[in-house]
Amino acid sequence: MGLLTILKKMKQKEREMRLLMLGLDNAGKTTILKKFNGEDVSTISPTLGFNIKTLEHKGFKLNIWDVGGQKSLRSYWRNYFESTDGLVWVVDSADRLRLEDCRKELSSLLLEERLAGATLLVFANKQDLPGALSKEAIQEALALDDIKSHHWCIIGCSAVTGKNLLAGVDWLLDDIAARIFTTD
Amino acid sequence: MEAMAEHSQETRVTGESGADKIQERLQRRHQARAEDAERKKEAKESRSVAEEKSEYFSSTFNAERASIEELLSSCSGADRAVVTQTLEEATVKTLQLQKFLNDSMLFLTQYELRRAQDALQKLLTSSADIREEALPKKKFAFRARSKATDKVSAPPVTDTPAVTDSTKVDVVAPAESVQCCFSNMDNVCVIKTAEEIHKQDVLLTHLTNCKVRLFGSPSTLHMTHIDNCEILCGPVSSSVFVDHCRNSTLAIPCQQLRTHNTTDTQVYLHITSRAIVEDCRGVGFAPFTFSYPTLDEDFIVSGLDRDRNNWSQVDDFNWLAAGTPSPNWTVIPEADRKTNWEL
Ligand SMILES: Nc1nc2c(ncn2[C@@H]2O[C@H](COP(=O)(O)OP(=O)(O)OP(=O)(O)O)[C@@H](O)[C@H]2O)c(=O)[nH]1
Ligand SMILES: [Mg+2]
Repeated sequence: MGLLTILKKMKQKEREMRLLMLGLDNAGKTTILKKFNGEDVSTISPTLGFNIKTLEHKGFKLNIWDVGGQKSLRSYWRNYFESTDGLVWVVDSADRLRLEDCRKELSSLLLEERLAGATLLVFANKQDLPGALSKEAIQEALALDDIKSHHWCIIGCSAVTGKNLLAGVDWLLDDIAARIFTTD
Repeated sequence: MEAMAEHSQETRVTGESGADKIQERLQRRHQARAEDAERKKEAKESRSVAEEKSEYFSSTFNAERASIEELLSSCSGADRAVVTQTLEEATVKTLQLQKFLNDSMLFLTQYELRRAQDALQKLLTSSADIREEALPKKKFAFRARSKATDKVSAPPVTDTPAVTDSTKVDVVAPAESVQCCFSNMDNVCVIKTAEEIHKQDVLLTHLTNCKVRLFGSPSTLHMTHIDNCEILCGPVSSSVFVDHCRNSTLAIPCQQLRTHNTTDTQVYLHITSRAIVEDCRGVGFAPFTFSYPTLDEDFIVSGLDRDRNNWSQVDDFNWLAAGTPSPNWTVIPEADRKTNWEL
């Protein structure tokens, strides 16, 4: 039995999921991850490389990968695609100037073969800012309705207040679980 | 815990002869000293274990990489079946190597990590190249994929430069959300008070020869296309995003500073995390010294820790060589720092 088969077996037994968080720099990925895990968010620096967090939620073991979104790091995103069950795409809803950038990066990710089976959760983050666009506006700007290749959902949230983070993750887990854990 | 254990022991020995007591105390002290020495030794060892680990990592990683490269090069001239099998083997090995890297990242420096990621990327690219060349059937799969590409990315046909971007943004912006925005100004002085910018997301764009004073605590500050300006701002509770800024002076307290495409600019900074630069040249940093009457209150509103200022800890995302400092930013020498600020 090869290593990969063993890994796959282990994954099923432990009800383990691998989530990949991506998005432009400054979107709030690391803040979401830490807030979700109940950690202090006031000392977070821009991510040079990546963070990984393993946590238990609803009986699942989640391996969450948070990869830096600076321009110079985006070419490394592909190194993290392998065996991703859920893709969390984080958007700074107040950053109108880079929405088009954001749409392009997302649409090229969705063409990746290795992400083909992943469920997509879009977090329209920073909803607490007065200038934030609504999740409907983000949905339109990112042309989410054109996505036919992945299960997706968009949720407006705020990493600073914590609003809707749980709702988003719960939707994601349910969708993934329905796909990969019900067959056995 | 330890003290408690000692205490209970102490009570047990009372009543025994004084000599016994002293004897036991001495012994205990000796033991404590020995344990302490042991602890120190362990700490030292674990430090060198970290170093050893990183050495073990690079030698294992490199050996593994070399063996994958060998596999890949053995593909040239081989027949289809052999190539298929060899590629399969190379892929599995590459994935294992990736897993090894993931498991090792806790003790690797960012630099080592990046190099390893680069190496993995090269392996993946060259095996994809070989596959495409040697196994034309797979090529068919690639073609199928690029068809999908056409379908999904149909919109980008209208993909002409920047101009479309801004029109698109305008279309998208609904009336209900209000952003506090100052743009397209030349040679003016902009002064905003706390009420106007309090907890707002403030945007400054296309400003030339301007003086900007933001007396208050915005939630976040975004500035782009700033030329020859002096921008002073009260404490920003989250991030400051700077893009395309030149010949300017900025003075800001904030949680994060993200500087892009910026040249010849001085930043007087109070920052509670770390600043970054990307695609920048000639950016100088010095501690924040600017002050205005309500600064103290605004600091409180922002929630920033006033005692924590990492103004000189700057990461250059284009310069990750360990040990050598980035040529793209400097600390402004004390003698050259600006000391009188006009309100
Ligand atoms: N107001 C507000 N600010 C937020 C929110 N989420 C994140 N931020 C702020 O946005 C800035 C960027 O957050 P990070 O979590 O570092 O962003 P990131 O996506 O991890 O960025 P990279 O690591 O560079 O890819 C920080 O200053 C956060 O405090 C939010 O929901 N509301
Ligand atoms: Mg981050």
